[in-house]
Amino acid sequence: MGDKSTKEILESVLDEERKEGNSLYNPKALEVIQQSFEKWKNTVVSEKDRENWEMTPHTIIGSNIPRGLIYTPLDIADLDYEVDLGYSEGEPYTRGIHSNMYRGQTWTQRQLSGAGSPEYVNNRIKFLLDHGATGTNLALDLATVQMFDSDEPEADGMVATVGVPIDCVQDFESIYKDIPIDKVSSSIVTHYPRNTSIIFPMYLVMAEKRGYGWDKLPGSVQNDFIMENVVRSACEWIPPKDDFRVQCDNIEFLRNEVPKWNYVTLNGYNLREEGTSGVTEMAVALANGIAIMDDMLRRGYDPDWTAKRMAFFWAPANDFFEEVARIRAARRLWYRIMKYKYQAKDPRSCWMRCHVQTSGISLQRVEPFVNIVRAAYHALAAILGGAQSLHVDGYDEAYSVPGEESSLLGLRTQQLINAETQVTQVVDPLGGSFYVEALTDDIERRILDEIDEVEKLGGLPEAVAKGWLHHKVISYLLEEERMIEDGRIKVVARNYFRDPNVKEPPVVTQPYDSKIRDQMVDKLKKWRKERDNDKVKGCLEDIVRAGKEGKNITYYTVEAARAGATEGEMRRAFTESFGTWRPPVYA
Amino acid sequence: MSSDREKIRVLLAQFPLESHSRGAFTVANMLRDSGMEVVYIGNSLPEQIVSSAVQENVDVVGISTLCGGELALGEKVMKLALEKGIKDSAVFVMGGIFPPEDEPKLKEMGFEALFTPGATREDIANTINDCIGKKRGAKV
Repeated sequence: MGDKSTKEILESVLDEERKEGNSLYNPKALEVIQQSFEKWKNTVVSEKDRENWEMTPHTIIGSNIPRGLIYTPLDIADLDYEVDLGYSEGEPYTRGIHSNMYRGQTWTQRQLSGAGSPEYVNNRIKFLLDHGATGTNLALDLATVQMFDSDEPEADGMVATVGVPIDCVQDFESIYKDIPIDKVSSSIVTHYPRNTSIIFPMYLVMAEKRGYGWDKLPGSVQNDFIMENVVRSACEWIPPKDDFRVQCDNIEFLRNEVPKWNYVTLNGYNLREEGTSGVTEMAVALANGIAIMDDMLRRGYDPDWTAKRMAFFWAPANDFFEEVARIRAARRLWYRIMKYKYQAKDPRSCWMRCHVQTSGISLQRVEPFVNIVRAAYHALAAILGGAQSLHVDGYDEAYSVPGEESSLLGLRTQQLINAETQVTQVVDPLGGSFYVEALTDDIERRILDEIDEVEKLGGLPEAVAKGWLHHKVISYLLEEERMIEDGRIKVVARNYFRDPNVKEPPVVTQPYDSKIRDQMVDKLKKWRKERDNDKVKGCLEDIVRAGKEGKNITYYTVEAARAGATEGEMRRAFTESFGTWRPPVYA
Repeated sequence: MSSDREKIRVLLAQFPLESHSRGAFTVANMLRDSGMEVVYIGNSLPEQIVSSAVQENVDVVGISTLCGGELALGEKVMKLALEKGIKDSAVFVMGGIFPPEDEPKLKEMGFEALFTPGATREDIANTINDCIGKKRGAKV
């Protein structure tokens, strides 16, 4: 490895592999095609089309990658089938990670379980499972996401608005009551390293109280420091390098103690939704993956051991073929990184496994039913790209959290793609398309170039601390806004064929129920009274000390959760231990 | 607030736990491009929003909200604004994602303009200008 950058390592290996000259087309065929192509271009194609041969599509959170008028073998003249494509469940995994893909097993149909009290969400999970959902996806309310207890002043008005509130172990007991958590996999959307380290141990304590061994539990957490330091708005942050360390503490803990759990979901999704291209979305997530591999190597772990449970999370948006190509490109690139930079031996370590959620920012307030169609295309792109797990956004995204009807419609969209369109019968159906293969190559190159940019800045935690990513996001989103304003980005019904007399249709939203906060506060009061408060205090002091002394902090949050510490109490211990940080602001 | 200065001063904030900032950043830049002065204070308690508005002597208080809390916290902001004597002098507006049925309630509380996803630069700037004009009894 030495001091070579990821890009240098991959380029030298691929040059070597391509020396064999095993490209798909023989030079003679290409020569003939070149001649016929030129002839066609100069005689059949109009002068205007020749002049505008390359056009750049602009879309919401698109990558602005130029496209030619038509693609031919000339655009993929170097394609080496064995090196670049291969077979599903075969290197380089461009075509998918399972040999039979969706014939063998459909993707996990995982819809977010909505907002409300722990008891309400328990019913909602059961409702979705009864209607065919194959996994659970727990959205947390903002107080829980931001690590505040329901009774803190900041939580006023925010309890149970966009997810479920969790203050301590008893809330997990209510949420997962009667759910077989050893069989149904639980995705717990703990966005940040800190709230993963605080909340997930409460889940584990719930599981052990119900008699489940930790080694039996399937599921995933998010645990991504980009979410905490770049994507989210908040009243307080800890420094990126410390947050990155907590991210890796969680990984080390989970890998050792909860081996079936996906310990990180490298979240391109929310970064992209905040405002980046599909290329940056993947470059940052993969750069985080690289930073994790390096950190775990430093801690003495074998790359194959570390990589086994890494997962990714993407946002398929409007540019249909770009989305299909992107997932294929990231799968191939991650394989190459694992294989050539980290010498992974286990095929599983090289798999870019991903959950996708259809893009929310692409959905519009105006004429919301059009969003049903948008989300269906996003979902189809994800499946044609070979995703492992999917959430389809509700059409009411720009109104409120999804209601029961729109949530069910999301699930129905998944079932329709799976059972009616028949796109699942054939593995990687777009593989071999001149266009899709050329775009896959182009996107892979662009992602690698951005990873290189990050590495030149000193790696991802350093690049974030310097404000590189914050700056990139703000310039992207302002430019995007201008492109919507001047019509370069067309949004149907909003700036393209807008109906001047458009009226808002009736959308059923969930009213805010302030009683839930009162109930949570009462439960919390009782909880604090019944626990051993001296023990809790000792555990919280241990967290502060572990942070300062560089010990794996998550072993200490587990002890605190067992003793009954609440989320807000643990958040304050983290802040005391690491101090605060302010990201650069461009507003 | 001062009616003779040239630039309109806007305070922009989010409620304490709001996790989204894209809307606030976008609007802050739009308003600046329209010649207004923007003081962005980020995530803040209602008390902090109102005390900053007093301290910064702003003409407009804008709150970006996407994840709920608009009714409970909006009411608190307006109550504090009344107590501190800025309810009648400053224009209060809100933008983001909230259910349509909350809109009349927010208007009644005193939020004079509400902006939802898709609101354009002109919508926002013109509406704010009109609201200020009405408040001052003269067009700005």
